[in-house]
Order: sequence, then C-alpha cells, then structure tokens
Amino acid sequence: MGNVERCDKTLPVNEMIFYVRRDAALRERWNCDLEGLARDFGLSREEYEALRDRDVRRLNEMGVHQYYIPQILRLFYGASANTNSHPALEAYKRAYPDEAAASERLQERLQERLARGRG
Amino acid sequence: MAEIVAAMAMTHSPGLTGWFDRAPEDQRQQARRALDEMRERLRAARPDVVVLFSNDHLLNWPINNTPEYTVGIGPEHVGPADWYDEWLALAKYRIPGHPALARYLVNEGARRRLAFAYLRDMQFDDGVSVPMHYLNPDGDIPLVPVTMNCTVPPIPTPERAYQVGTTLREMVRAYPGPERVAVLATGGLSHEPGGPRYFWVDEEFDHGFLDLLKQGDHAALLRECTLERMEAAGSGGTAELLAWILTLAFTTGPAEVLAYMPAIAWRSGTGMVVWPSVKN
Repeated sequence: MGNVERCDKTLPVNEMIFYVRRDAALRERWNCDLEGLARDFGLSREEYEALRDRDVRRLNEMGVHQYYIPQILRLFYGASANTNSHPALEAYKRAYPDEAAASERLQERLQERLARGRG
Repeated sequence: MAEIVAAMAMTHSPGLTGWFDRAPEDQRQQARRALDEMRERLRAARPDVVVLFSNDHLLNWPINNTPEYTVGIGPEHVGPADWYDEWLALAKYRIPGHPALARYLVNEGARRRLAFAYLRDMQFDDGVSVPMHYLNPDGDIPLVPVTMNCTVPPIPTPERAYQVGTTLREMVRAYPGPERVAVLATGGLSHEPGGPRYFWVDEEFDHGFLDLLKQGDHAALLRECTLERMEAAGSGGTAELLAWILTLAFTTGPAEVLAYMPAIAWRSGTGMVVWPSVKN
C-alpha cells in the first residue's frame, strides 16, 4: 500500500492538529508558544522538534498523517494562494527533490503537448 | 417514493477556487466549460435535493475516531469552515439542508446494517465547498452532505463503496416522499495530497479509470480499479474516487466524460463526468 499507510494513528501530533485547525485561540498559541502547546497535547520531544523545524520528511516518517503535513506548513506560512511556489510547497520540494524533479519533467512534457495542440 | 434524476462526479481540488488562474489557459477553459455544462444539466434535472458524497479531510472527526460514513442532518449548511475559507478563496455560503431525508438515511441505514454517523453542524472543506461554488452558486438547491473516510487507514475497498451505494440507492428510492434527488460524487482523480508525490498526476491511471466509466461495465471497473491500484496512482488522495464508485451504483450504462485535465498546477488529475442514464 502507499504512503498513507505510514500513518501512526496514535501519534499525539495527529490529535493536536485536528484541534488546532478548528480553534482560533489554539492557532494563535501555535504562533507564540508552540512548545507549550506541544507539551499540553503530550507530544514527544522528537515530534515537537520536527514541527518546530518544519521538517516535512521527518514528520512523514514518524507517522504524521500525510494530509496534516501541508496543514502544519500552512499554520506556519499562511494558507492563501497555495500555489506550487508557495513556501509551504517549496518545503515539499526541498524534502523530496527527486519526486519534485520528476513532477517538473512531467509538467514540461504536458506543456509541450499543450503547445503542440495549439500549434 | 423519491426519484433519482441526475448522477454526476467531479474533482474538488482546492486549486479550482484557491489558485484557479495558475493552470494553463487550455485547462482553465476546459474546466470552465465542463463545470458550466454540469451546472446546466443539474438545473435541467430540476432536483429537490442534492445528495453529495465526498470525503472528510480529517476536519469533522479526529483521527482516533473516523466513521466510515457521516450524514449532515442540519437544516442549513454553512461553509467553508474558518480554517478553509482563506485557502479556498471563497466567501461564506449558506445552503438549506434536507433534514427529513438526511435523518431517514441515518435511521434506515441502521435498519439495513449500515452504521452512518451524523452531524447537525457539519464543517465543510474543499470536498463540499468547491463543487457547491460551481454547481449550486446561489445555494438554492437543498443539500444532504454525506462524507466518507477515504484517507485514514483502513481505507474501505471499492467493493464496499459500491455495496453501500447500492443500498443507498434502494433507500432513496424507498423514501416516503416525492423528492427528485440528484447524486453528486466529489474527489479524485489521481493525486497524493501531502505525500512525497504531492505534485504528481498519474495520467495513465486517470484515463484508464475514465475509460472504464465510459464503458459502463461496473463489474469490470470493480475488477480493475482496486484499492492497491488507486494507492499506486497517488496515495491517500486517489481513493477519493470511492465516492465516484459509490455513485456508480445509482447509474446504468456509460458515463459521459465532460473533461479531463492532468492539472499539476491544481495538484490533481481533474475531471468532470455525468451519467446520462440513472437507475430507478
């Protein structure tokens, strides 16, 4: 099965993100006291440090649900205009350079095909 | 007895509203045309209610308790949820619910051995907000949202989704009211939200899936479109097509594919489909 099966459903950070997204006061605390927030939700030191470092690959490997990782990045970098060049997405390109390069090549092939179609 | 009057499916990529202009012009044109066509066909079917099948992106339920299905039973649905409006670049919308039908689905489902959770105040992410923006822009067609778990392991199988769709169709038909019911699936096509292949689209898988819909052979689709195949085409996202497979059970014959775009800018294989023939 795929990457989503890496998810550790019992990881405290997976519980924490659910509540932070839904609560403006917790989102505010995310910005000013992430360490205290992490402690209150029972995160391990390793979980907290991966969050603090915005470390996409480490978060994925420790079992954070893959859907939550971009949301963690949006909590740090903001949610508007979430294009492929948004800082949250640039963090993915740095974490997975091979996959990002493969997508870049695919994008170029698709654009050439579109250009040929127009020509 | 209620009547099924339309069956449709579309991608709900947040990029369709949040950063629509970033896709190539050809893809934008295709998407606009297909969404206009879907909206017109939905109107032409004169539905009293839309029953929408999508997945909950871990918004309504925490990961320690994710129901397989959840029905929104409230008298009014308000979205997008606060965390999502900026991301989707959408203003708040209000759509009337259909509590009588929604509560019937929960209770009749239980009688038929289906455990449907329910919420009176459901929160809405891209799964409901993007399709409603395009297909129900005035919010005047009442809505019954039904969310599915397509992303928290264990992910249900396509066979299970089709089986639940079959029972839901029988339930809707047995509903003691004259409602004209449209069914709408949202999600897919290939994508891997938040995974290592976040920017990838699997065109070959998407074309294969849409070809199977065009053939209209449900058994063949269930044979070929396994959960393993969907996961290989984009983990944790492609399986949103379970909503399409559930909706397939409300249809008969070939689907008409209005558009397909391998839209890397929207980080999703993007498609719009209608079924000309529904099963009553």
